Amino acid sequence: MAAAAFSRRDFLRRTSIAAAGLAMTGCGWRLAQVRPSPGSVGDRTKLYIYTWAGYTDEELISRFQQATGLSVVVDIFDSNEVMLAKLQAGGGSQYSIIYPSDYMVRQMRERGLLRELDRDRLLGLKDLLEPYQNPSYDPNNVHSVPASWGTTGLIYNRRRVPEPPKDWGFLWDNRDRLKRQVTLFNDQRETMGLALRRLGYSYNSQDPEQIRQAYEALKELRPAIAQFTTDGWKDRMVAGDLSIAMGYSADAIEAIEENDQLGYTIPASGSSLWTDTMAVPISAPNLEAAYAWINFTLQPEVAAGMTARLKFATANQRAIDLLPPDLAQNPSLFPSQAILDRCEGIAPVGAATPLYDRYWTQLTSG
Amino acid sequence: MTPANPIAPAAEATPPKPRRWVGPWALLGPSGLWLLLLLVLPVLVIFELSLVPGIRPGDLVNPSGIDNYLLVFQPVYLQVIGRTLSYAIGTTIICLLLGFPVAYWLALMSPKRWQNLLLVAFTLPLWTSSLLRSYAWITILRPTGVLNSLLGAIGLPGLDILNQTPAVLLGMAYSFLPYMVLILYSSLEKLDRRLLEAAADLGATPIEAFWKVTVPQSLQGIAAGSLLVAITSLGDFVNPELLGGASSMTASRLIYNQFLGATQNWGFGSALSMLMILAVSLGIALLIRYGDGRPAA
Amino acid sequence: MSQTAVRASQAIETDTQLDVELRKVFKVYNGETAVRGVDLHIGRGEFFSILGPSGCGKTTTLRLVAGFEQPSAGEVLVRGQSMLNVPPYQRPVNTVFQSYALFGHMSIWDNVAFGLRIKRCGKAETEERVNEALALVKMEKFARRYPNQLSGGQQQRVALARALVNRPAVLLLDEPLGALDLKLRKEMQMELSTLHRELGLTFVMVTHDQEEALSLSDRISVMNEGRVEQIGSPSEIYESPRTPFVADFIGDTNLFRGRVSEFDRTGSAIVTDNGLKLVATPSGDWAGSVGEAAAVSVRPEKVQVSLYPPDLSVNCFEGRLQNVMYLGTHVHYVVELRSGDRLTVMQVNVGGELPALNTPIYAYWSTADALAMSAA
Repeated sequence: MAAAAFSRRDFLRRTSIAAAGLAMTGCGWRLAQVRPSPGSVGDRTKLYIYTWAGYTDEELISRFQQATGLSVVVDIFDSNEVMLAKLQAGGGSQYSIIYPSDYMVRQMRERGLLRELDRDRLLGLKDLLEPYQNPSYDPNNVHSVPASWGTTGLIYNRRRVPEPPKDWGFLWDNRDRLKRQVTLFNDQRETMGLALRRLGYSYNSQDPEQIRQAYEALKELRPAIAQFTTDGWKDRMVAGDLSIAMGYSADAIEAIEENDQLGYTIPASGSSLWTDTMAVPISAPNLEAAYAWINFTLQPEVAAGMTARLKFATANQRAIDLLPPDLAQNPSLFPSQAILDRCEGIAPVGAATPLYDRYWTQLTSG
Repeated sequence: MTPANPIAPAAEATPPKPRRWVGPWALLGPSGLWLLLLLVLPVLVIFELSLVPGIRPGDLVNPSGIDNYLLVFQPVYLQVIGRTLSYAIGTTIICLLLGFPVAYWLALMSPKRWQNLLLVAFTLPLWTSSLLRSYAWITILRPTGVLNSLLGAIGLPGLDILNQTPAVLLGMAYSFLPYMVLILYSSLEKLDRRLLEAAADLGATPIEAFWKVTVPQSLQGIAAGSLLVAITSLGDFVNPELLGGASSMTASRLIYNQFLGATQNWGFGSALSMLMILAVSLGIALLIRYGDGRPAA
Repeated sequence: MSQTAVRASQAIETDTQLDVELRKVFKVYNGETAVRGVDLHIGRGEFFSILGPSGCGKTTTLRLVAGFEQPSAGEVLVRGQSMLNVPPYQRPVNTVFQSYALFGHMSIWDNVAFGLRIKRCGKAETEERVNEALALVKMEKFARRYPNQLSGGQQQRVALARALVNRPAVLLLDEPLGALDLKLRKEMQMELSTLHRELGLTFVMVTHDQEEALSLSDRISVMNEGRVEQIGSPSEIYESPRTPFVADFIGDTNLFRGRVSEFDRTGSAIVTDNGLKLVATPSGDWAGSVGEAAAVSVRPEKVQVSLYPPDLSVNCFEGRLQNVMYLGTHVHYVVELRSGDRLTVMQVNVGGELPALNTPIYAYWSTADALAMSAA
């Protein structure tokens, strides 16, 4: 789950990377905020944040500065694994706040890489949506605070499909006419996961036979697949070159704003549900500032403002109540509970991991 | 009267011996340290990691065998390596076919005073990000893109090659063509034109002179350019990733997946990396050994 | 090229006995005129040299014949056929290049075989002719070597063999011995001469070395600033220069410039700008007219010097000895005449004491040794 990334993040990442002409290093999301690795570890007037592109903006940071007097330095990563690698390598010891996704919280927690949070110092946890009071990736939010969440679904072009897709099965039913007109994620867990779900299995299946069946199903679908890409579909979808793309809800909302022939469906049998959180690395300096940031973003009006400006779903019930109705009732952003019940968070698959990788390699190289 | 200084004569008698080892160390030290820190040590770290089966970040490094290397030889991974090689070879051939005429024109036929400017103009694509170049190709090649608009405007049927091998080769060849042209140019520029006159004098048509004189005389350049393009192509994952289709995984992407994808199998990724490093080093060694010599006696 | 043959006697009859002909040929490069209206008529079997200082257009002239350059105006003919729009590879000529231009990636044998293979000669014939050509230049033993393993002289021979093996109508030689040291040069000059005699082929050689041209050629064309100054046999060129340039370029000479004042029985009288009156024999068939600009050339070895006034009415001048150089067989004098002209004198050393500097001295020569020519 490079998964938990909004593709908008990736879009911003790409733009900034292109500007810098670098292929793999992380970049600031605004030029003015591009910083080399900060030098002053433990500077009490500065808060270093390591997050996805698109999770902060000028307004959020200046308001935080007004409220606390702390200046904020934002560094951007484009996948959980990149973030982990940097922290592991010791290059991230200046960060007080990081934004790992659900499965990464579990992995880092199990390896003792996250600091246990002092609940007494956190204000507003009780405002979190009911499912987020005790998430499976981090029971009782001991090490993390949910920041945003979303689903994965299908974006389609009404002009190019006979009828709006209702479920994943649509892809298989129409694969002959969809020759190279579909994109799926370049993410083995998401893409293998949708095939597992279509077969009625769990996104997190560890059963070799089920995983093999999912691979076979995807292999069957291959002629219809133009590309495996998590974010590269957007321009082409908007231009009308593709019929169906797998995408994150937030990206779907953006694409639909640009082309009203597009629609978004969360498949009826359920899809993946992802959560990005705020956490404090075990090596973090300046804990005061870290708590200040978490508490600041937990404030309902701040969270609501972020959702309105940056178009991701907050996990804060009081913030949702403050949103204008067209956002609060947008089913792409806040799907119904019935649908959410069929969705599933992506969790580590333990010993089955190499198996996924093997089948994925086979699928993308066959 | 000057009193005798008992120390001075003694000091004169034993002038400091020149320390011959200081010079080389002072000269080579900084770059040597650089190489050690940024090349040798990381390669050693990767090598060590490659000996730990299935190591993931945070695990203990406990070298215990070559299982990771054996894994590489499974058909599925061999297929990935095969595709990577075929992309590299295809790109090299295209670059050679496209690059030779250009380099030939630049070196032997273009107006002398424009030569440098033309050379810079031709290598201009290298100054932009490879990512941007690939995106430009998407814009051109997609079904409703620039290419098909043009083809449609002159009444030709559209082309649909995006997300297929031709698009990948096109993007890669475009990316690496300047290297080929630069190297071939420097090789052809050294070509003694009197040899072409001699060939013509002996009855060779320009085409015969090209094959019998120009090509053999620039063989080193051809070898060097091809090897450079092939090596660079081996490591490219931007083009296959962005322009390729459902079946376009390359060794670079496979390695990326092992390190920065969900798999997080650093051991296998390290083994793959070591093999890539080995292959590329071998190529460079061949180039140094044979690319520099005179025609065999 | 199949209609050409090595020996002139075997040549197919054409309407002319000329092998190379240039008619009013001009060549302009980037606004600079390298060749200005050159006319050449080179007969079959001739050893013809184009001689001149660097930049005189001689190499360009050769390249026009070879076809590496196209004339800006005028016409080049080989064996009576116009070479207009005929590319080098279709011309019945072969060139020996100044730098040899051997193919470094080929063995000597392959270098020599190059032309025959291009012409798709049969294997047996190729082998025979290549071996023959290598034998001709005594390079059989080196057939397997590569050019960079040979000395300059050896490379020169290979270049000759590579050209001759094709049996061209005309062999063009561009400063063929320019890169060789003196001893090798002399040796190769002999060999070239022998080759020319044996093969009976037309040789056209470009050189800046007058001695080489004089010793090897049947006829020489002296070029200067893109023009042909004079064409003639070596002795004509040396003995009867037609222009001051030729007189000066070929050997050493004392040149006087002036105007024709009158003619008498012995020759023409010429008065120089500073008042010397010289009586000279017209060079060649020159017939000057009174008032015409003219030059007089007197070779240093033709000038006599004497401490006492000789009994002569003309061509005798008083001066001062300015320099004496003892050269063993010869003695070299520089005499400054009263007019201010300086005279170079070369006399056979007959022994005896040399006169001191600044000694008043008389310099004189016979009218027959003073050559008058147009200086227009």
